[in-house]
Amino acid sequence: MQLALKHKNQTLAIKLAAIALLMFGFGYALAPFYGAFCQFLGIDRAEASLTQAGAALRIEFDVNVPEGLPVTMQALDSVQTGKAGGVVKARFMLRNDSDQALTVRAVPSFAPVRAAGLLRKLECFCFDALTLAPKESREVTVVLLVADQLPPEMGAATLSYSLQKVM
Amino acid sequence: MHQAAHTHGGHEAAYESGWARWLYATNHKDIGTLYLWFAFAMFLTGGVMALCIRAELFQPGLQFWQPEFFNQLTTLHGIIMVFGAIMPAFTGLANWMLPLMLGAPDMAFARMNNWSFWLLPPAAALLLISLFVPGGAPAGGWTLYPPLSAQAGMGMDLAIFSIHLLGLSSIMGSINIITTILNMRAPGMTMLKMPLFAWTSLVTAYLLIAVAPVLAGAVTMLLTDRHFGTHFFSAAGGGDPVLFQHIFWFFGHPEVYIMALPAFGIVSQIIPTFARKPLFGYVSMVYATCSIAILSFMVWGHHMFAVGMPATAQLFFMFLTMLIAVPTGVKVFNWIATMWQGSMTFETPMLFAIGFVCLFTVGGFSGLVLSIAPVDTQMQDTYYVVAHFHYVLVAGALFSLFAAVYYWLPKWTGYMYHEGRGKFHFWWSMVWFNVTFFPMHFLGLAGMPRRIPDYALQFTSFNSIASVGAFCFGLGQLLFLYNVIHTIRGGVGPAPARPWEGGNTLEWEVPSPAPHHTWESPPDLTTVRRGLIAQAVEHEGESDEPKSENRA
Repeated sequence: MQLALKHKNQTLAIKLAAIALLMFGFGYALAPFYGAFCQFLGIDRAEASLTQAGAALRIEFDVNVPEGLPVTMQALDSVQTGKAGGVVKARFMLRNDSDQALTVRAVPSFAPVRAAGLLRKLECFCFDALTLAPKESREVTVVLLVADQLPPEMGAATLSYSLQKVM
Repeated sequence: MHQAAHTHGGHEAAYESGWARWLYATNHKDIGTLYLWFAFAMFLTGGVMALCIRAELFQPGLQFWQPEFFNQLTTLHGIIMVFGAIMPAFTGLANWMLPLMLGAPDMAFARMNNWSFWLLPPAAALLLISLFVPGGAPAGGWTLYPPLSAQAGMGMDLAIFSIHLLGLSSIMGSINIITTILNMRAPGMTMLKMPLFAWTSLVTAYLLIAVAPVLAGAVTMLLTDRHFGTHFFSAAGGGDPVLFQHIFWFFGHPEVYIMALPAFGIVSQIIPTFARKPLFGYVSMVYATCSIAILSFMVWGHHMFAVGMPATAQLFFMFLTMLIAVPTGVKVFNWIATMWQGSMTFETPMLFAIGFVCLFTVGGFSGLVLSIAPVDTQMQDTYYVVAHFHYVLVAGALFSLFAAVYYWLPKWTGYMYHEGRGKFHFWWSMVWFNVTFFPMHFLGLAGMPRRIPDYALQFTSFNSIASVGAFCFGLGQLLFLYNVIHTIRGGVGPAPARPWEGGNTLEWEVPSPAPHHTWESPPDLTTVRRGLIAQAVEHEGESDEPKSENRA
């Protein structure tokens, strides 16, 4: 192959590879774009402008323990009512069923997702990992601050915790 | 023409026998052959999985497989057919034919070409190994939606690495194809004089460079979600599984055209040859190809109508999706207009090409039905969708590949295939393909969901028909294998350089079988003109004949 053609080919290949790299980055950029887009369209994300004062909110607490993790977890106050601007405290019972010390972490999630913007965690056992001695039982709490204004269509929200073992 | 074997300083001569020839292959024909055989092996593997699926669905109840394994079968069948069979087969064809058609000595980057092929077998191995690891193969469908894929066992990680390798291979192959087409055409062959197969390969390669990295990004995010504590798609950490669907289909919809456009190119070569007329509306075909490619980036949302989307977004995706029917329609009309009043003969490649046009149109129309958002909400995840995309991908991509193999087999092997057996393969496939997939439209309309191992009693008869069709269709492909091997071993006799009297592209200017090294010096202008697609020459008001004769 003549040198000129070889050079021309290499230049083009480098440009094409650069496009491929850019598109890889674009895939990642779609994550923040998606958030911004949903906010712009008003779907699936909490929006202060949607709210209205005075409404009460039913808050349900749920727990998930993965199969094989020797821990029992239970919501002691599984349903509560939150007033706009009020504080809600919920208690959970955690027990290590095994004969060894265990470190676990609780990962919270809200349903619907926009409830995350309406219920702020002031204090939560999920902020840190918890180490339980063999057969230890412990009561843990979460304290939520309910937003000043609640959207009228928001009747109930669920705060769910999934336990994960920390290696 | 210089067909004498060239040894490139002697170093290639040493590799020209045994396994080393294939392992170190840098010749575009060798690599094309490797790609085609690999694709065929994967086609049989994915096909066996399809038959396992159809065996289970022959009657209601669980006969052979547990539901988990059934899901693994459907997932692997999809991934293997898309990434292992159809895409490598088109890359193989591009490798084999592009340098021949363009008058180039080889692909632009011969060693990278070797790499792009040899990444495929490990990728396929990873996919197949995933069947045997704890937890089994991925079972979330070929779309790998989280949260299912985020929770799956280590088979999913193997699939993710496999997709990384496949994507890397596709990107390297595409860089090679684009560079070859843009920089290495014979003098005198302008862009608008290229054979249409070169055009569709070029546009497809661009599509791949644009979207394969996006899929790589999506599965990488999935991988870090699974193992490194990120929360792109995990709702527990504030991520959103629907984001995966958006990113996946931003790749996935152009992917559909990555599998369809080369097929368009192939039939655009074959139909003019056997109609003995230039392709009708060559330039409009080129523009239609480009429009389809551009539109394909803007319609991913139609895969997600049922996910929850504002009405305006649904309308946007619905109308843009319908718009793709326009350039596709232009193509179908042009193929028909090419055949119109042509001196048609019906050799096997032509039969497959006509079969492609008829059945792909059916698939296109059912796609148009699905593009309507309110209808799609009803049809989502039913067998109607399964019927639709099999009409597009089996009758579309696969039939065009069969057409291509029969069309170029004489050039590859130097021998003619057995016409009777070729025709039998076509009619057998045509009949049983329809027996398999046409009833699925009815199953879908009646509400049978896809990806289920067991179903309600009222779906039994159509499912049984489809299963019988699938087994017969599968059996027929062994005949294809026999036909190809028979041809390689001598077929019905030696093939001339130009076995089809209507073939007028450059590959027919070299002897059959095509020598190991061709176009070491580019073909001269006369050869290019003789080998050019006539309509492109006519388009520019040029002719091989002296102008005075035209005026006489």
